[in-house]
Amino acid sequence: MTNRYVYGVVEAGDGVDREIDAVGGADRIYTIEHSRLGAVVSDIDTTEPERTDEDARRHDDILRELMDGGERTIVPMQFGMVFDNDRALKNVLRGGRPAFRRALSDVEGRVELGLKLVREEGAEVDDDAVRGAVDDELEELAADSVEEGLFSDRLVLNRSYLVDRENREAFDEAIGRLEAEFEEGGDLLVQYTGPFAPYSFVDVHIGAQ
Amino acid sequence: MAQPQRSRPDSSSLAEVLDRILDKGVVIDVWARVSVVGIELLTVEARVVVASVDTFLHYAEEISKIEQATSEGDLEDLEELDVETRPESSPQSASE
Repeated sequence: MTNRYVYGVVEAGDGVDREIDAVGGADRIYTIEHSRLGAVVSDIDTTEPERTDEDARRHDDILRELMDGGERTIVPMQFGMVFDNDRALKNVLRGGRPAFRRALSDVEGRVELGLKLVREEGAEVDDDAVRGAVDDELEELAADSVEEGLFSDRLVLNRSYLVDRENREAFDEAIGRLEAEFEEGGDLLVQYTGPFAPYSFVDVHIGAQ
Repeated sequence: MAQPQRSRPDSSSLAEVLDRILDKGVVIDVWARVSVVGIELLTVEARVVVASVDTFLHYAEEISKIEQATSEGDLEDLEELDVETRPESSPQSASE
């Protein structure tokens, strides 16, 4: 097996080598270093891994575990990034180095958190007032945020936040206040999720000519 | 009214995980991952590349070094190629 399934990119020296349940039935993750960066990988026997729920979880769990404690910064890959040889992987680390370096510094010491506000069926809600209240609480505490799709007309807000670890507690408390405010009336449901690897805040696409 | 509690995010939602790992994160095209003939020239799209003309020119200059090395067949010498964004052309400073 020479294919490598890549979970994310770290600074060289921040790599890992440990036994863990990995994508595609592998039992070990390790790091391939090049150009002062490291790709955290596991071996896999296909270049097109099936998107099973189990492997989706493993991809995410491994990234989460690598971030745990906040000592390591990792730029997460989308699911399914398999290289069929190490030369191609090193070529991408080399050619993508400035983009990876920028992404690493964008997300250093930060985690992603999700917030969805869902209107209860039949409830009347002033969407603008709700969003204003959310911004008042969270804008100062977040390093960045992105709007996600409002795929249902009951979704009043759907956002991902990038939050410094040192602001995590304050952010949790702010969400607690919003929950108390919104859920008291019984009109809005607050879904607060994460922490995730900063998937929504790394904007890198590498192709080949 | 009681003092609101610190809320704990829920990390168990598979839907939230799928939303992210299937649509977000770094994307590398299959042609850059499965190399058929030698080393392809990579295209990198990221905020860092479009940050400013200055960054782009610096980047283009480094890319030409890669092209030259590729044609001369001495890619191994490119380990220390520096295509990092210089501080004065970072997106932050460009927008300030």
